[in-house]
Amino acid sequence: MAQIFPKWTNYLGPGTALAAVLLISGGTWFFWFYASPSFTDVGYRPVQPVAYSHKLHAGDLGIDCRYCHTTVEFAAAANVPPTATCMNCHTLVKQDSEKLQLVRDSWKDKKSLRWTRVHDLPDFAYFNHSVHINAGVGCISCHGNVAQMEVVEQKKMLSMGWCLECHRNPEPNLRPVSEVTNMDWVAPANQAEVGKLLRATKNINPPEDCSGCHR
Amino acid sequence: MSKKNGDMKIKGKDYWRSLDQLADTPEFNNFLKREFPLGAAQFDNSWSRRKFLTLMGASLAMAGLASCRRPEEKIVPYVERPEEVIPGVPLYYATSMPFSDHAFGLVVESHEGRPTKIEGNKLHSSTLGASSAITQAQTLSLFDPDRSKKVLKGEQEKSWNDFVLNWIGAFEEFKQNKGVGLAVLSGMFSSPTLSRLKKSFDKNFPNASWVTYEAVSDENIYNGTKAAFGKRYRPNYSFDKARVVLSLDSDFLLTESDSINNARGFGKARNVETEKDEMNRLYIVESGYSTTGANADHRQAISSGDIGAFALNLANALNNLGINVAGTSAQLVSDKKFKWVNELARDLAGAKGASLVVAGRRQPAAVHALAAAINDALGNIGKTVLYSEVSDTSSSDSAGLQSLVADMNSGSVSTLIMFGSNPVYDAPAELGFAAAMSKVKTTIHFNDYVDETGQLTTWHVPKSHFLESWGDTRSYDGTMGLTQPLIRPLFKSVSESEMMGLLAEGKATKGYDLVRQTWKNKNKGGNFESRWRKILHDGLEQKSAYKSESPGVKNSVISKFLRDNPLTNSSGKSGMEIIFRSSPSLYDGRYATNGWLQELAHPISKLTWDNVAYMSNADAKSLGVKNNDVVKLELDGRSLELPVWIQPGQAKNSVVVELGYGRKGAFKVGDGVGGNVNLLRNFSAVGFATGLKVSKMNRTHALACTQDHWSMEGRAIVREASLQEYRQHPKFAEEAVQHKPLESVFDEHSYAEGYQWGMTVDLNSCVGCNACMIACQSENNIPIVGKEQVANGREMNWIRLDRYYSGDVEDPETVHQIILCQHCENAPCETVCPVNATMHDAEGLNVMVYNRCIGTRYCSNNCPYKVRRFNFFNYTKDYSEVEKMTQNPDVTVRFRGVMEKCTYCIQRISAAKIDAKNNGRKVVDGDITTACQQACPVDALTFGNINDAESRVSKKKKFNRNYALLSELNVKPRTTYLAKIRNPNSNIKKA
Repeated sequence: MAQIFPKWTNYLGPGTALAAVLLISGGTWFFWFYASPSFTDVGYRPVQPVAYSHKLHAGDLGIDCRYCHTTVEFAAAANVPPTATCMNCHTLVKQDSEKLQLVRDSWKDKKSLRWTRVHDLPDFAYFNHSVHINAGVGCISCHGNVAQMEVVEQKKMLSMGWCLECHRNPEPNLRPVSEVTNMDWVAPANQAEVGKLLRATKNINPPEDCSGCHR
Repeated sequence: MSKKNGDMKIKGKDYWRSLDQLADTPEFNNFLKREFPLGAAQFDNSWSRRKFLTLMGASLAMAGLASCRRPEEKIVPYVERPEEVIPGVPLYYATSMPFSDHAFGLVVESHEGRPTKIEGNKLHSSTLGASSAITQAQTLSLFDPDRSKKVLKGEQEKSWNDFVLNWIGAFEEFKQNKGVGLAVLSGMFSSPTLSRLKKSFDKNFPNASWVTYEAVSDENIYNGTKAAFGKRYRPNYSFDKARVVLSLDSDFLLTESDSINNARGFGKARNVETEKDEMNRLYIVESGYSTTGANADHRQAISSGDIGAFALNLANALNNLGINVAGTSAQLVSDKKFKWVNELARDLAGAKGASLVVAGRRQPAAVHALAAAINDALGNIGKTVLYSEVSDTSSSDSAGLQSLVADMNSGSVSTLIMFGSNPVYDAPAELGFAAAMSKVKTTIHFNDYVDETGQLTTWHVPKSHFLESWGDTRSYDGTMGLTQPLIRPLFKSVSESEMMGLLAEGKATKGYDLVRQTWKNKNKGGNFESRWRKILHDGLEQKSAYKSESPGVKNSVISKFLRDNPLTNSSGKSGMEIIFRSSPSLYDGRYATNGWLQELAHPISKLTWDNVAYMSNADAKSLGVKNNDVVKLELDGRSLELPVWIQPGQAKNSVVVELGYGRKGAFKVGDGVGGNVNLLRNFSAVGFATGLKVSKMNRTHALACTQDHWSMEGRAIVREASLQEYRQHPKFAEEAVQHKPLESVFDEHSYAEGYQWGMTVDLNSCVGCNACMIACQSENNIPIVGKEQVANGREMNWIRLDRYYSGDVEDPETVHQIILCQHCENAPCETVCPVNATMHDAEGLNVMVYNRCIGTRYCSNNCPYKVRRFNFFNYTKDYSEVEKMTQNPDVTVRFRGVMEKCTYCIQRISAAKIDAKNNGRKVVDGDITTACQQACPVDALTFGNINDAESRVSKKKKFNRNYALLSELNVKPRTTYLAKIRNPNSNIKKA
């Protein structure tokens, strides 16, 4: 009697199993990679209405972050400056620059500029800038070296797991409060000890509970 | 009290929560056994399962396509940042809320110019930092999209300027004839600016009539003091100094004037820290069951018409004890006799100068006069009660309204201005106000809604909410406060001062200028600007209260008055008695548009979204009606149909109805809710009337009651004892439940380090005023779910007030118990959550992670306190932009399918911790007050760090009255209760 199944069907079982493994692991990898904030969010650099250069202002001219982001030390939000802050200088400097047309319009019409948010946490996460700044976490730790950015982009994942990495072990990211906005600050060789000391003196116990950020 | 055998009944009391439970019907037992009542978890059956799956599948596929990239968000900074505004950091402004003929001093939290939360002003004597449900709910009223938005002439939209021009024309005309044909019907107010403007109105139009009327007022009280002292006085009670209090049909703890202060003083005099402390004793005689009645040590249910007779009996009993009450000569002795009058008289006599007799505003002037005479005889005047003459105030005058309507009917009124009032709705129906109004040529209506009156008038001008207006107020004790706007008017409305300015002076002036002018006139000399700034900052002028007086009762005056106005009793009258009382939530109906207040469970009946005809069990039996059955109430040829609600402890042969419902101009929230009882009201008897005929209709009306939900089946939930028992067994609360040492099957955490949050609830202080519930709703963005959902058991309040009755159904005692998340250390909810959406933090908080929650509701099933609330629908989805402004930005707005519950106001804990950390210090006691605690006028709630032995909460937890609810379950709640103590008179035997 002739065989019902040809010989190649012997490979059907292991082949299917292999395909399944590949599909599952491939699918997992696909989502692991493409759905992670390191792919979706890091590198996000929207075009802003005004081509404001942090590199020029904060880097080359050396303006402190807090000249514009005034509330960062005592409020949850590090505010985006009002048009008035721009006009402090630009009534005298580059008065006719085309790039500044929107800023001048805003000032004249008393209409707000509409910037696009780059670092956007979910609304159920209540991040507070002031407590981090006062603990001695540098701006650079979360925002990257903004002083070198022509266009601001997101450098870090800003995911919950990423936050918790530091909350579980804050010492590598602590610096003297006076150096918080300093983008060129270099961690000393004994950062482990310095971090530990800073943590002890300032009684820094970052929350690892849900209630730390979610309300 | 010697039961220590694990029996969980305290002093043999049987608590019951409703008549159904007492009757133990199968429906009730079925209800009890379900976590959420029948229907609560089931889809509307118009949705088949198949249709549901089809649509879900399709929407899932759509969602997959649409969610590739997160939405782009904009940052819109200021052009010029206003001084002091820091985005995300709230600012607080003092203001005051005009209410009736007094006011409340408030502090309002504002987020970037958006008022979100109201608190009492600690500096202001009217609130001293506390608040009430009605004051808390004002932010919702402000952001109500149904408010009147434009000036109307008939149906036509007009501008404010059109109205101004029109009025200026009329102004000149009336000035010529000195105001003949001009009439104003105003709501009550208590405002230096409005009074000043009213004076110039009177000067410009000497022949015009000005009548003030509101459906709820203290008119009887003023008339009573006039009869007793010869002067129109307002009484100011000091309950904190009174050891023995008698309430004559007065709900002074909730619905009478100055209730916040009354409750505070009462709570202070009732507070016991140890068994050695003394506490006050409250007697009450009343017809309906009020919140004050629930707090009484001795309560007697008698009809409202018998209260006068009771007072007379008491006066005679005092006379017999040698305390001569003015005005009570022999011929005034009532032949009706009451229980415990002599014991009460002896108790009052034993506390001369430290007792107090208070009569309710529903009672006629004669009762108030007699109460004043009794207080005088007991030497209380000047000690527990002071009197003051009010000024800058316009109080209700029902005789004035009657003559105004007569004038309108006779055609002698050509222009009628209704200033902040809604007479078509709330004037007694016998007047026929709407018909009389149609005879007036020009009618002008000024109010915050196009209400029943506004729909019929020639002109309607929208009134600004007090949070949008410049104004000023005088509170109950006369303290002068400022009302400053927290936000610019949302709609094209004008403030009371601006409208009054226009009417009185014939020109449109800015509210700020008008108010400032008033204060400038009062503060002549010195540096006005700096004083003004200080007043504006504090919200009040210190030491500006009315002068307190201690007048003596004039025997001849009161004797004559009592002879002319004899205190009758109810015997020999036919028909039932009907008692009108203001709604504890909606007041006289002006808050019917407020969903929070509509959904707020009635403090005694726990009904929401309806008013009913309350009657006693016996009356219901004889009429053959039960709860939800509709009855027809007929009085003097007018009738109203209302559903019945059986109220245990109500006086026999009486029906209690509440004002404020049955609105027809309260839009999507208030229209068609309940029935308008003003249709039955008479001027001859605004408070209560006899001759009511009640007949059963053959239909029912479903009522939404939160009462029977989450019953606790006979366990020692509320623990109470009399003062005597407490002294014999100081640890009775803890000993009420005995159990073996408990061991947890789970590893227990150690909570020895850091902050450990905890709370105590003092059942002895809590009066059951509901302020905490609305404070929580406002602070924590708790949605309104509507009547149907409440009936399904889906109300969302994180904090609730349970009410248990005990004893005889015709004369029960009542206890209130605040229940909120107990934050158990061994939380049963946490162990059953499959996704770790609810878990513990290091500071002992049971936290809820909305984003993890998948809505299994296992946690709610396993919670012994039933404090978890589930979002069955996306209640916040359809909020308009205006409604969204009510939300607190510091609290997540929850979505459909998510469980939620009390967080101990975690946003306030975080804010305090961050603030302390930024300033390099630790959180100290008092840095954090939860919203409920802050609102509470009696300090019943205390929150703090239980790891700090010096904190107030730690100290309270050491009181011997302290007990944990259901501690036998070993859940180790962080919220504990301080047992209730009653102080009955040992000479009065319980029937």
